[in-house]
Amino acid sequence: MLKLNNIEVAYLNVIRVLHGVSLNVEDGSIVALLGANGAGKSTTLKAISGLLHVEEGEVTDGSIEWNGERMDNKSAEEIGKLGIIQALEGRRVFGHLTTEENLLVGAYHRKDRHTVKEDLKMVYDYFPRLKELRHNTAGYLSGGEQQMLVIGRAMMAAPKLMMLDEPSLGLAPLLVEEIYNIIQRFNTEHKTSVLLVEQNVRIALSIAHYGYVVENGRVVLDGSADFLKNNEDVKEFYMGLSTVGTKKSYREVKHYKRRKRWL
Amino acid sequence: MAELLQFVITGITVGMVYALIALGFVLVWKSSGVANLALGQLVLISSWFTYGMLVQAGLPLWLGLLLVILFALALGWVIERFILRPLIAQPILSLITVTLGLAFFIEGAVSFIWPKSVAALPRLFPQQPVHIGTAVVSQEYLWAAAISLILFGLLSLYFRYHKMGIAMRATADDQRAVQACGIPVTKIFSMSWMLACALAAIGGVLMSCIGGITFGLVHTGLKAFSVVILGGLNSFLGAIIAGPIIGLAENLGGGYLTPLTWPGVREVIPFIIIIIVMFLKPYGLFGEVRIERI
Repeated sequence: MLKLNNIEVAYLNVIRVLHGVSLNVEDGSIVALLGANGAGKSTTLKAISGLLHVEEGEVTDGSIEWNGERMDNKSAEEIGKLGIIQALEGRRVFGHLTTEENLLVGAYHRKDRHTVKEDLKMVYDYFPRLKELRHNTAGYLSGGEQQMLVIGRAMMAAPKLMMLDEPSLGLAPLLVEEIYNIIQRFNTEHKTSVLLVEQNVRIALSIAHYGYVVENGRVVLDGSADFLKNNEDVKEFYMGLSTVGTKKSYREVKHYKRRKRWL
Repeated sequence: MAELLQFVITGITVGMVYALIALGFVLVWKSSGVANLALGQLVLISSWFTYGMLVQAGLPLWLGLLLVILFALALGWVIERFILRPLIAQPILSLITVTLGLAFFIEGAVSFIWPKSVAALPRLFPQQPVHIGTAVVSQEYLWAAAISLILFGLLSLYFRYHKMGIAMRATADDQRAVQACGIPVTKIFSMSWMLACALAAIGGVLMSCIGGITFGLVHTGLKAFSVVILGGLNSFLGAIIAGPIIGLAENLGGGYLTPLTWPGVREVIPFIIIIIVMFLKPYGLFGEVRIERI
């Protein structure tokens, strides 16, 4: 179980981005981290995966625990070895490697070649498209295929916690749905916890068990997916629905009727 | 006509050694984006170290050469660990400049430890020359070519199938994403420096078997640069192909132009090639053109 206690993150010791974020990811659950641009979602993920250190960021307060053990001063490699794997935002595939090589890089830490081979089959099973493209150069895949590859690469590490940073970014709605179904299937079949950063609130809440809404570096609202889906504020400000649940009209001059209750 | 064949054979074989040294450059460039300007100096110091082991200390051949390889690997590790790693996340220019500083340091250290200007290694390969058609080639050249070819083969297998090799190529593409997969990039950097130094050492030993140990070995590094620039900074295949081209150009040009122009014209030819390549094909013959999806 992953537990963030009131963490604060500052870049370059000056720019404070997170002002106390607390969240829990129970084993085997899907947790969504929702919020607008610049809310601090990606920073939260990087704080967990240890990638902050290379970006001159630092967890200045609070603690991050993995199964009861502190890990906020561990390096990215050590955290990766614990089984916490992050798929970065923006489909960062290794462009000059083939699809299969990309997947094998994901399994770098694993010693047992036999299970790696099995997992390769498993990933191809989840993403049949990748199997067809396995000898193609990854840089020339389409956006959706690259996103599948990035998720598949994270799966190859046999993660205990998989952190996905905006898997829906820039993809067609149909493809987004497909990818989310696969994430859900992976979660139920392998009991892998998933921490999901997303701007597409509707799709994220459709598979998540629990969600946190982040604004300006703070968690402003959290609750089960059903609670969030029916929350008036979330509906109004993140799903574009008005209070009655109908589509909002932006034609009216004053299209917002509510103030955020959490401010 | 007899001399033509001679020039071609020596050119190709020497070129393959250049290519070997150039591979070390490509390796470091690809994995960490650092241009290693101390290439020639690494060749120099490992050649003199070989001299120290085989002649001065009088060690048996196998032990001496083994120590040379170990020395090169250790040197690579030390360079990465203590000179480059503290500079990670600094502007790339300071990393490149520090290799320049390293180059001067090694040169100084070499002339301090081995103040002689010329030395020769004991003969590692059989003496009698080989007749190929009309040309007479001493065996050193052929062995150098064979060893380089074997190493090319091993390295390309390593990069294609070994997980460390694949991870090194991945690092060349996206360092941050490699870290996100939980792979220690520092280990990859130090691996690439160790391999680069080992290749420089092997290249150095081969070069000094051919031409003796002099301070001129530093220029081998410069020629390896021209190989790298002709072949493309980030292409292994490019280095392997461009090596013999540079070697050929150097030997043919040197052989035929020296009587017509001035002595030493051969040393200039690789650099003329660099300039022409930079004009016509800035990525080099096989350089990776950046993949961009629009």
